[in-house]
Amino acid sequence: MNPSVKQEKSFAIMLAAPSVLVLIITTTFPILYLIWSSFQNINLAMPMNDGFAGIENYIEMFKDKQYWKSFRLTIIYTVSTVSLQLLIGLGLALLILRIPKAQWVFRLMAILPIVLAPVVVGLFWRTLMLTPDFGIVDFFTQAIGLGSHAWLSEPKLALFSVILIHTWQWTPFAFLVLLASLASLPSDLYEAAKIDRASAIKRFFYITLPLIRPAIIIIVIMRSMIALSAYAAIYAATRGGPGTATEILNLYAYRTSFLEVNFGYGSTLAVFILVVTVSVATVLYLIRKKNN
Amino acid sequence: MNKKIRDSILTLLATFILLIWILPLIWSVFVSLKSEIEVMAYPPNIFFEPTLNNFRDAISGSLSIVSELADSLIIATITTTLTLLLSIPAAYSLARLNLVGKKKLGFYVLATQMIPPMGLVIPYYLILGKFGWLDTYHGMIIVYMTFSLPFAIWLMVSFMEDIPREMEEAAFLDKASRVKTLLYIIIPQVKGGIAVTTLFTFMNAWNEFLFAVQLSGNKVRPVTIAMYNFVSVEQTMWAKLCAAALIAMIPVIIIGIIGNNHIVKGLTLGAVKGGGRK
Amino acid sequence: MKNKKSILEKKISRRKFVKNSVYTGLALGVFPGILTYPSDALAESFGANINWRQAEGSEITVGLIPAGYFKNLADVKSTFEDLTGVKLNIEMTPPAQIRNKAMLDFSKKTGMWATNCTDPMFYYLYEANGWVDRLDEYLENPKLTDKKWFDYEDIQASWRGTTSVKGVPYGIPFDGEATCQIYRKDIYDKAGIKPANTLDEYLSNAQKIHDPKNRLWAAAVRGMKGAGQNMYIYPSILAGYGGKWFNSSGKMTVHTPEAIGALDYYVKLQKSFAPSGVSNWNWPDLADAFGQGTLGSYIDANSTAAVINNAEKSKVVGKIGYARWPKGPSGKRVCSIWNWSFPINAALSEKDKVATWLFIQWACSKETQAATSHKFAGAYKRVGVNRNSVWKNSDFQSLMSKMGDNFVDTSIKSYNQDTDADWRPRTAKWPAIGGEMATAIQSALVGEKSSSQALIDAQSKIDKLMMG
Repeated sequence: MNPSVKQEKSFAIMLAAPSVLVLIITTTFPILYLIWSSFQNINLAMPMNDGFAGIENYIEMFKDKQYWKSFRLTIIYTVSTVSLQLLIGLGLALLILRIPKAQWVFRLMAILPIVLAPVVVGLFWRTLMLTPDFGIVDFFTQAIGLGSHAWLSEPKLALFSVILIHTWQWTPFAFLVLLASLASLPSDLYEAAKIDRASAIKRFFYITLPLIRPAIIIIVIMRSMIALSAYAAIYAATRGGPGTATEILNLYAYRTSFLEVNFGYGSTLAVFILVVTVSVATVLYLIRKKNN
Repeated sequence: MNKKIRDSILTLLATFILLIWILPLIWSVFVSLKSEIEVMAYPPNIFFEPTLNNFRDAISGSLSIVSELADSLIIATITTTLTLLLSIPAAYSLARLNLVGKKKLGFYVLATQMIPPMGLVIPYYLILGKFGWLDTYHGMIIVYMTFSLPFAIWLMVSFMEDIPREMEEAAFLDKASRVKTLLYIIIPQVKGGIAVTTLFTFMNAWNEFLFAVQLSGNKVRPVTIAMYNFVSVEQTMWAKLCAAALIAMIPVIIIGIIGNNHIVKGLTLGAVKGGGRK
Repeated sequence: MKNKKSILEKKISRRKFVKNSVYTGLALGVFPGILTYPSDALAESFGANINWRQAEGSEITVGLIPAGYFKNLADVKSTFEDLTGVKLNIEMTPPAQIRNKAMLDFSKKTGMWATNCTDPMFYYLYEANGWVDRLDEYLENPKLTDKKWFDYEDIQASWRGTTSVKGVPYGIPFDGEATCQIYRKDIYDKAGIKPANTLDEYLSNAQKIHDPKNRLWAAAVRGMKGAGQNMYIYPSILAGYGGKWFNSSGKMTVHTPEAIGALDYYVKLQKSFAPSGVSNWNWPDLADAFGQGTLGSYIDANSTAAVINNAEKSKVVGKIGYARWPKGPSGKRVCSIWNWSFPINAALSEKDKVATWLFIQWACSKETQAATSHKFAGAYKRVGVNRNSVWKNSDFQSLMSKMGDNFVDTSIKSYNQDTDADWRPRTAKWPAIGGEMATAIQSALVGEKSSSQALIDAQSKIDKLMMG
């Protein structure tokens, strides 16, 4: 082998090794423990029952109506919020891109929602924003004629509200990444396209979009993972209620593991979330690889 | 359309949208300046006598969040520093070098981020408990790094991929060593990306709640738990809570402002250089 | 300069030392018994015939939730530290997470918390897992407890019942409450009505004062989903309808005619007279609304009195009245039994367990109860003291009567006459069951399911939980 190629390979390994090692050390045991627990009966309320359960937990999961409901809610929640984040983020980025001066002000303003701790966001939106006849969002909807609603108490509205809260907080991430990505695009490509008299829309779809695809995919992957593991804000806002209208899979796993102290089953749910997430990510990852 | 007019309209539109977007935050500033009884008024009033008492209560006195701010600062800073030190080289390796098993490693890194945090609480509690690292700085840092490392690596990878190939080839021709290439050529190119990564890594560690509450809380007490100083079972002191939350936002905002310049620099550099293919 | 000062200081302190030694020697000579128990003025003021310093040098951490009554305890903790020489750390934990954290600590035996404020419904679970020590051993040990001084029987009987499993105490109640009617005296007087004696009267009273157009909702109770939230009110209504949790063969049945009646009443009350966000409301929201004057009455813990009487936030001070729970169709009235109690973590070392027991004794003693309540220096005075003797204390009573009309009378009668230990199902599986019931109640409240359907679904879930 060419010495410099060999050199490059060992250099590459040297650079990546520390991180990979840290990850192996810190995540291997937890994953194994989680998987092991999912095959066990671990229920603190019934210690006499503890023991190996085989795939009982998994069978129960597939029969569990609440699990399917949570699963459905999770998909709706994740797809909605990530799509919204992408669309709004892209729109905002395109808009702000055109404004050369004082972009930093907009960037600063945009980042503020993310800076607020999710647990505070949940508490805040629950009472000061969305409480009927008290919160200012409700005040505004009444003022513009949309009327007052039980934003967090009506099942379907509650789901809409928590999606809204999550989107409100995290769109700035998509916005920033897309802004950075758009700003780094080479301008000569556009010049060429303009000379070819391509319309703005055509320019966007055929030039811009393909070029920022990697950024979009990263955003989708990362935001999806955050959405799937969302906990603090929803819990503070609705606790998964009303009833179970906003109990995404993550919250259901939390309720099972901690509130109902059925760790075995809760682990099963967690393992399943992991499997789903990894599968989705695999698909997205392959798309991405295909691109490059 | 006249460019100036178009720009003004766009600026106005952007300002309007962003103002609406951060309306809840603007409102929380109002709330933090009101007295508790004022907060409950309906219809909500914009004109009132402002008071700084809530900020005072959040900083001094029995409800003070100052020591929690310090704890969070320590944890977040160290986490971010370590994460950057580890992730930037790793990202470079994954993005631009001939790394053995690149695809699989890349995917492994991504996958480690997908473990639902809920499922990690108990294993981490067990591990930290065994080593006596519960309620310690190093315990929390290790746990946070598990999340921040994959995130940072992936973020940096996407920024690194944006740099044109010619960069390394040019450096190579100049007989620059690999390390020098990384340090003096590549890294300056992704300053903007580093700034973004720093910001988000810091912020994720700063705002984390689930693990903070379960794995620490006594000797080491992050600021997210401190928010509950104002949320007792009997009542929520909204004005003080908003004051505390706003104070807690300051360190992150500072980092954002500092990093902002680098983001701008990085982007300008990219735009001017131009060229390069994907 | 500095040296001169310190020499002088040394001289003075040496003189003091000599003086003290002489006195001590005299005292020892005259009262040899003093050597055995500390002549600490503090210990004397506590008057217990035990060695408060037997765990000196230990360090314990106590998990508490942020709440006025615990804050007062935290504020006086130096008394405990001076008394015993034990370092006391208090860790304030958000209420929604404290239970998890406590159970994680117990089950993994990490011994992080010597004790924590415990929900009485969890003792069956704790006992079943052997996580907490039997306290009768501590109570009966003369080295650890001066029975006469501690006077365990002085603590509310019904509360002691809830912290015991099969008659054996596992926790000592520290602070408690009972639910009762809380209403606007001025509004009731104006409408010419008296606080309701039956559940139906409560509805008709509400009808008379309900005026949402003028931002006055007549009545509300907790709607938020949770074993400690809506499942803190529903069981009282259930008892009022004559419902029981276990049928005659001991099987847990939640889908019964009484239960449907109770749930229907609950839904009707909330839908007709409560503000629309109520299905997400917990007691702070109720207290806030009442304090702002938008709620005519509510049924919740008497301890909310401290909040609604806080002039900093409340507009209705001086206009408040209290009354016992209305009777249900079965003629019964049952209020909540609730208290925060302290157990001893079984995973601790022997010395730390002693230190913890000293803490518990100190916190639940007559002296500390008074010190955190009517004798407390701050603005918030504890209402939910655990001892009958303190409730009978004239200073305490005069302080409590400031909470509103009939506060003392309502509270005492509720504690003594309206409690029922089986008001909620006492079982190790409570966490899961409480959660399922809470979900069911809320589903009915938001109209997701009918009362009957919600209970049927809950029943099938509970059947599964109770199996095995």
